[in-house]
Amino acid sequence: MVRSTLLNSMTETDHSVQIRQLNYFFGQADLRKQVLFDINLDLPKGQIVIMTGPSGSGKTTLLTLIGALRTVQSGSLKVLNHELVGMRKADLVEVRRNIGFIFQAHNLFESLTASQNVEMAIELLNEWGNKRSKAVDVLTQLGLADRVDYKPAALSGGQKQRVAIARALVNHPALILADEPTAALDKKSGREVVTLMQKLAQQEGRTILMVTHDNRILDVADRIITLVDGRLETDETLDNFVEAHDPKALDRRMFIM
Amino acid sequence: MKTPLAWLNLTYEKTRLLVAIAGVAFAVILVFMNLGFLGSLAKAASMIYTRIDAEVYLVSPQTLEISSTKAFPIERLYQAAGIRGVERVMPLYAGYLQWRNPETRGTRAIFAFGINPDDPVFLVPEIQSPANQAALRRPDTALMDRLSRPEFGTQTVGLITEVDRRKITVGGQYTLGGGFAADGTLLMSDQNFRRYFAPFPLSLISLGLIKLQPGVDPAQIVAAIDQVLPADVMVLTRDQIIQRERDYWISTTSTGFIFGMGVIVSCIVGVVIVYQILYTDISDHMKQYATLKAIGYRSGFLFWIVVQEAIILAVLGYIPGFAISLGLYELTLNATGGGLPIGMEWGRAINVLLLAIIMCSISALISVRKVVVADPAEVF
Ligand SMILES: Nc1ncnc2c1ncn2[C@@H]1O[C@H](COP(=O)(O)OP(=O)(O)OP(=O)(O)O)[C@@H](O)[C@H]1O
Ligand SMILES: [Mg+2]
Repeated sequence: MVRSTLLNSMTETDHSVQIRQLNYFFGQADLRKQVLFDINLDLPKGQIVIMTGPSGSGKTTLLTLIGALRTVQSGSLKVLNHELVGMRKADLVEVRRNIGFIFQAHNLFESLTASQNVEMAIELLNEWGNKRSKAVDVLTQLGLADRVDYKPAALSGGQKQRVAIARALVNHPALILADEPTAALDKKSGREVVTLMQKLAQQEGRTILMVTHDNRILDVADRIITLVDGRLETDETLDNFVEAHDPKALDRRMFIM
Repeated sequence: MKTPLAWLNLTYEKTRLLVAIAGVAFAVILVFMNLGFLGSLAKAASMIYTRIDAEVYLVSPQTLEISSTKAFPIERLYQAAGIRGVERVMPLYAGYLQWRNPETRGTRAIFAFGINPDDPVFLVPEIQSPANQAALRRPDTALMDRLSRPEFGTQTVGLITEVDRRKITVGGQYTLGGGFAADGTLLMSDQNFRRYFAPFPLSLISLGLIKLQPGVDPAQIVAAIDQVLPADVMVLTRDQIIQRERDYWISTTSTGFIFGMGVIVSCIVGVVIVYQILYTDISDHMKQYATLKAIGYRSGFLFWIVVQEAIILAVLGYIPGFAISLGLYELTLNATGGGLPIGMEWGRAINVLLLAIIMCSISALISVRKVVVADPAEVF
């Protein structure tokens, strides 16, 4: 209750995401199964939020709801000032264009070069003239200046993931949703990818919501939320989170390395 | 410019692209061959009439096509001669004879035309040559078509053999072609014709040929003659008699049906091959397509990508299919010694291209469902 009064005191426009009493069910009739229970969550602009929790707790589901990838019928789900509850699928598509998605798998077209894969996202805005230079710019920022005309088959896993991130960031989305973006990467490239996301987000004041099981990257977060069995269990700043958990396993210094 | 996703996706998998092109080309060739045969049938049916110097024709209503004419009284032709605008009337006698191959002694049906040697019936100048004219007037002598099949044996001038157990001498040669009904043709005088077809009274004719004065409208003359003549003959313009003959070959015989079926089956083969290719392509790119949906592309865009792929396949397959068909037409033409007038026509070339596009689009419509219903939430 204390928390919700605190949230209400903020003005609407300060938030990228505002969730009230959100419940979500999979399946119909007898097979109907609730996976999210009474979620209340606000993501202020510019915040980097990491979501953790056990497998099957509903993290991906919540991410797809915020990402306007599923229709919702009850509660309130405001994303970038659009109320998604009750919205038609055709309108959800519009909302999605303002969100950057980073998936666990890179999902790049093998037949397109790195630049062309990124350009596919730019074309959504009907920008044709400078799309190539925009794509090259963002790829350069992600350290792929010499790889813009390579096809995914000729890129390493980390490079492919960075192309996928470039595709998610190129349109400067106000909200970035990432589901285990480092899962397929080794420690070093995973670290690189997250640092890049953090840098770009901070420069441009983007909100990032990232699901991860990867303890090594928790330090980029301003805030860590934990989902257990479909309920929002904890919602803390990074320092609180580290203190509350086993200090041996989650040594603060480890994140700084 | 838009990223040419459809093109890049198709060309990325080279082997698959080649298989698809081969599949479309195969279907296109089958369609071209079937339509080619059908077209040559129609052309063969009309060919003889384009070589006869007459604009209006009298035939018995029981006559289906030129090789199975029913005779009618020659008076009808004389009656028509009195109509204003008619320049000349000419009788034509026609029927099959058994030709004996001088080498093998075997017999084979040959088609014989009988004409009055004074009538310039055919638009074939060599028939009017003095040597041929003299030969036409000799008894038991006929001119032989160079396009007659080799199975008739040696066909040199001066050759003597038998038709229907009567002696015959090849007095000269001409080039005409017998179309679908005849493997070979002979041209002889009406007097010789009567002897070979005895008993055949010259007062009955197979076909009445009417040449009009220059500038006279055939349709008007047809109407005028029709008024005068009783119902035992039909009066037709050249176009009408050609159409009648075509209808016979294409509709009355099952030839048209068979080739039509051939076209349909070829198209189905094409649809199945292209469907397989597109379906595999879509399945392979499901994650990517779902990602495009997730980042804000609409289903219509993906639908359009698949249709584009289909059209590209249609065009890429059509090009070799067209080229190979041209070669096969040439081959058929040579193999039949020009007897099967098969050849490419602009209209057909364009129609088959459209057909290939429609064919591939149908495949696209069947396979595209998968991508349209793809759930973007599933990519996470
Ligand atoms: N399409 C679906 N239909 C039915 N049930 C589903 C569907 N997707 C997920 N679920 C169920 O919903 C629950 C939450 O799944 P979700 O994928 O959100 O978990 P998660 O927290 O992302 O797990 P993980 O960490 O393993 O990715 C699970 O019990 C899962 O079985
Ligand atoms: Mg998950």
